[in-house]
Amino acid sequence: MLVVSGRVDDAGHADPGHPESPDRLTAVMAGVDDLHLGNDLVFVAPRVATRDELLRVHQASYLDELGAFCYEGGGNIDQDTYATYRSWSLAEHAAGAGLAVVDELRRRGDGIGFVATRPPGHHALRDRAMGFCLLNNVAVTTAALTGQGERVLIVDWDVHHGNGTQSIFWNDPGVLYVSTHQWPLFPGSGGAREVGGLDALGLTVNLPLPAGATGDVVRLALDEVAAPVIDQFDPTWVLVSAGFDAHRADPLADLALSAGDFAALARSVARYAPGPGRLAFFLEGGYHLEALRHSVAATLGQVLDSEYRPEAPTSGGRGRHEVRRVNLERGVALRVALGTDPGEDFQ
Amino acid sequence: MTPPLRTIAVGYDGSEPATVAVRWAFAVAHQVGADVVIVYAVGLLSRLEGTVSPSLFDSVHALAAEVGLGPDRFRWHVADGDACSVLLRAADEPIDADLLVVGSRGQSAHAGLLLGSTSLQLAERSTVALVIVPSGRGGD
Repeated sequence: MLVVSGRVDDAGHADPGHPESPDRLTAVMAGVDDLHLGNDLVFVAPRVATRDELLRVHQASYLDELGAFCYEGGGNIDQDTYATYRSWSLAEHAAGAGLAVVDELRRRGDGIGFVATRPPGHHALRDRAMGFCLLNNVAVTTAALTGQGERVLIVDWDVHHGNGTQSIFWNDPGVLYVSTHQWPLFPGSGGAREVGGLDALGLTVNLPLPAGATGDVVRLALDEVAAPVIDQFDPTWVLVSAGFDAHRADPLADLALSAGDFAALARSVARYAPGPGRLAFFLEGGYHLEALRHSVAATLGQVLDSEYRPEAPTSGGRGRHEVRRVNLERGVALRVALGTDPGEDFQ
Repeated sequence: MTPPLRTIAVGYDGSEPATVAVRWAFAVAHQVGADVVIVYAVGLLSRLEGTVSPSLFDSVHALAAEVGLGPDRFRWHVADGDACSVLLRAADEPIDADLLVVGSRGQSAHAGLLLGSTSLQLAERSTVALVIVPSGRGGD
């Protein structure tokens, strides 16, 4: 059973020539259609995130300014990020979509969630829009869950580091944030030594990978560095910031994954969900429309036991050595933060 | 006592307000003997548009020549991120700037809003002194 957020007319959040466009969501939904799920596909009614729900992760002054900016007609917020008159309403819906999907998963006690919304969210900070993102969608849902005592694992496999999500939960012991991303690359954060604040030390796991890394390298990083932390954290919910711009065809980055790799990643991540109805994917980036369609279908097909395999997984790319270094750097950073001698491990 | 001014970091994106800021930073650097770091933020869309174009390098060299600042007195720092984040990091290693300089956003329908204004966001967050150079008042 796939529980998908109901689509809101998003044509009003668009900027001519900008890659974060309504065409993305059309491609995404084509990917869902490719699975031919029939009665196993359920759409939940759209809803907005309330101000109180947004205030768990965003500053009030930022919400007020963003709303005012949009209602005055919008414009460019920074060199990457735009807003229009319609953007505030769509961002509210994008932030509320995860809440609606999670509610439906809970009601059913079964199913896989897919929050197919835009604009994306993982770069949005408490007080700032950036990187095409206005409100941090996955963070809004995560905060709602942790407010009810849940322990939430966020796996962010977008090719860009989710600096907003990391920052929001930096010191939150109820959230484990794991990110695989190309590095160096926008937004410039996501180094292995960023391991979380004092109240959540070790609960930020960054897995920066070099350009050219293939799917086997990403899985190696997850298995060797993140898996022990995830096992110890023992999440009660798993949310995936599922960007698909690590695909080799994507114009905004240089990782070398295929649609088949996203399927393999989905299989790896799904095993951390403690039971049915506790896994949801949130759309983040992905700007090559055909790759986006195939990758969405491969990801969801994998966790729904479909045989949809548009591309084989990749292997043999750069980065295996970097995975070992990431593990080492992370260990040193943790020991430094704890005030213990990092010793001579790190050279 | 005023601390010595050794390194001035100035944000540059090729826009007119940024050009005014660079001109001002070069003029001050020339007067006090400081070095200048031209900070250029590589955003998400830079992947599509290319990063620093040769014309930007040429423009900055011309601005330095205007005030008589030698090429050994300024350098570029090109970093991934949005302009605000990249400029905030200029206060840390490897730049260790003593002063941040940016252009004002100039005329805007949203003047006064923090949103969309790198200069106002820096004014809230910068840990080192910040100069916001109004457009039309560069260096002279």
